[in-house]
Amino acid sequence: MSELLIKNGRVFDPINSINGDIMDIAIKNGKIVDDVSLSPNTKVIDASSMIVMPGGVDAHSHIAGSKVNSGRIMRPDDGRSGIEKRTKITRPCSGYTVPNTFAMGYRYAKLGYTTVFEAAIPILHARHTHEEFGDIPIIDKGGLVLFGSNWQVMEAVRENDIEKLAAYVAWGLSASRGYGVKIVNPGGGEAWGFGKNVSGLHDTVPNFDVTPAEIITSLAKANEMLHLPHSIHLHCNLLGTPGNYKTTIETMKLLEHIKPGMDRQVVHITHLTFNAWGGTNWGDFESKADAVADYLNQHDHVTVDMGQLIFGNATTMTADGPMQYANARLLNARWTNGDVELEDASGVVPLSYIRKMYIHDIMWAVGLEVALLTRNPWQVLLTTDHPNGGPFVNYPEVIALLMSAQKREEEMLKLSNKMRDRTTLSGIERELDWYDIAIKTRASHAKILGLTDHGKGHLGAGADADVTIYHINPDRVDAGREHATVKKAFEKPAYTIKDGEVVAMNGEITATPAGRTFWVNASVPEEHNTRLMRDLRLKFRKYYSINLANYMVQDNYVKHPVVIKAGGS
Amino acid sequence: MQTVTLTPIIQSKISIEAETITPDNFAGKTGEEIENITIWEGNHKTRLFEFFKIALEGKDSPENTKIIINGSIPRVKRVGEGMTDGMILINGDVDMHVGAKMCGGVITVKGSADSWAGREMKGGELIIGGDAGYYLGAGYRGESCGMRGGKIIVFGDVKDYAGEHICGGEILIKGSAGLMPGISNNGGIITIEGNTSMPGAEMKKGTIKINGVVETLVPSYKQEDDEEINGIVYNKYTGDVVAGGKGSLYIKR
Ligand SMILES: [Zn+2]
Repeated sequence: MSELLIKNGRVFDPINSINGDIMDIAIKNGKIVDDVSLSPNTKVIDASSMIVMPGGVDAHSHIAGSKVNSGRIMRPDDGRSGIEKRTKITRPCSGYTVPNTFAMGYRYAKLGYTTVFEAAIPILHARHTHEEFGDIPIIDKGGLVLFGSNWQVMEAVRENDIEKLAAYVAWGLSASRGYGVKIVNPGGGEAWGFGKNVSGLHDTVPNFDVTPAEIITSLAKANEMLHLPHSIHLHCNLLGTPGNYKTTIETMKLLEHIKPGMDRQVVHITHLTFNAWGGTNWGDFESKADAVADYLNQHDHVTVDMGQLIFGNATTMTADGPMQYANARLLNARWTNGDVELEDASGVVPLSYIRKMYIHDIMWAVGLEVALLTRNPWQVLLTTDHPNGGPFVNYPEVIALLMSAQKREEEMLKLSNKMRDRTTLSGIERELDWYDIAIKTRASHAKILGLTDHGKGHLGAGADADVTIYHINPDRVDAGREHATVKKAFEKPAYTIKDGEVVAMNGEITATPAGRTFWVNASVPEEHNTRLMRDLRLKFRKYYSINLANYMVQDNYVKHPVVIKAGGS
Repeated sequence: MQTVTLTPIIQSKISIEAETITPDNFAGKTGEEIENITIWEGNHKTRLFEFFKIALEGKDSPENTKIIINGSIPRVKRVGEGMTDGMILINGDVDMHVGAKMCGGVITVKGSADSWAGREMKGGELIIGGDAGYYLGAGYRGESCGMRGGKIIVFGDVKDYAGEHICGGEILIKGSAGLMPGISNNGGIITIEGNTSMPGAEMKKGTIKINGVVETLVPSYKQEDDEEINGIVYNKYTGDVVAGGKGSLYIKR
């Protein structure tokens, strides 16, 4: 019976509409409760003059699996940075853009985050992802599973058999112990198997006679038929190509009439830094974040995340194989290419974002513009698409940029003039407040993932006792002017509490419990399953390199599961 | 002037990590403080006096500090790592990574140095009287830039990949070099008095000069007009064309 009382903090809990009230937060046995009766065993934390928020939630990050590991293998130079010696309770850490598994958990916890979702798991490689999850301490995890260039998916789309498609999605989530549907450059991963790409939403995928538009809408329908907690999670076609904002908006339009099966968005479009681009080539490259934000301001079926660019080293990793090939050729950079049999492709390319290279400067502005020009703070999540835009340890920098027009102005002085001319950033005066930041770093992540009913992203009674306390007094600090103080406070929270246990204090790890793994078990009518299994048995016999019986992730790879039930009624 | 003499008393079979042996770290310290400087024997933390007899004369700043190692230390790595000034004299052989990342001062090795000598050095001088191993002056695994400044002189032979990824500085090899000296270099000057094979593969920028015999020349170099330097006539090539390189390769005619 462990009890904890966090007294007199300034609480920001947007899901429960609490905006900076001075409150006590009571914790009993790892859950938030309405009150605790103070006993000698109750631990008390005095949080007066400090900010209290729910533990951070990250809905889109690349923390585990085969791509992350390819990044580690091809970047021994990255492994030499960020070296931290072991302590009595922590294991040794290394890496900056692709940290080792231990560092992933410690660094997120030290930053005040308690739940992180891996954004791209190929079903075939899911076992590897879960092995790394097992090694990542402290934080709770979950993963989105790649469906966008999968043969079984494209065949069901061609046959317009949404029931069978839903059955496959449910089966794929179960096979991978995954949480939601990720789509990356739909159709492009398959085309890349033949050295090609798809050129837009209505191009035909070679050998499958389906278009990216059909793949997206069919998967959205299947997703909603299954009432999955999360919507489809989409990395758009033509990502990384000048002029792609048109495709991004067209993609959003495709999904305007789909009815969500749950109280949430119909699609989450990820890392806008890379797909709100205007221009026709790298010469006339410009930001079109304003056009995308305009659309978002008029439609609520879409949510997005920033994928904010951070100057310095990054390691780009995605299932978008053809885009990564183009990237590697353009930059003359190292390149890893992956082929995931019938399911998808992948590529990893290390690179550096450099100030005064105007393309990078403009990309830096795009993420901020999307976040600042979109009026509803719940619609745009704060991410860096770790480690594609930059490593997650830089979130405090992004928070400070969003809260201070002065900081943005100071940063812009270091950048090229082309950036000023080709983005709207220098004209934006909006400064986010603490409540907005609580939304963009935890509440909305949990809501978009469909995790609020499962105890994440808020501090209401019954929620998981994941709490972060920051050394900053909102009455005293003017975030617009004192942005350095804000950044520092978010870099080293006073306390990170996970399931009622203090796991980090002032940037030091104090406990290393194992986190849980969320996955979704969706049921489908037996008749659709039977039809699906007939297809799958044939696929495994004819094409896969392994047997169907060896394909499913066994339960002993997921040591601390939280199974969320879904499915048709 | 401060002079610290270290005489090896036992030779460990396990490698010793001794990046703490630098004039910067020894300057101004007492004999007792120096004796208690941390080094690692494998995964075991230990102190200098366990392996060396230490004699100290004077007390001074790093630029006026000289460290003399009286004997071979074939299992002691990283001597002089990152040093900015002063002198180290090794009267014998030394293990890997001697002078890695050094920025200034002089290291003289009377015997031979193992691999990665002068790795990623930025300045200063590293003189090796005997031979050197693989990756002389190179960048470590995955690094895009090796040596950036300073000078390395080797009087004996060196093994493969000397000057891999160097971006600046100068390497002079009096003997012969193994395969692929200057591979993927992006600046700097490498001079080899003896023989070698496949110099300058993937060179983007920089100069490599060879006075001995080149066993194999990579095919992706463009021949230019001959040039005379210091009274010697060289065949001149530019490349490496496959890397879009503009480096110069001189081979004695
Ligand atoms: Zn991503």
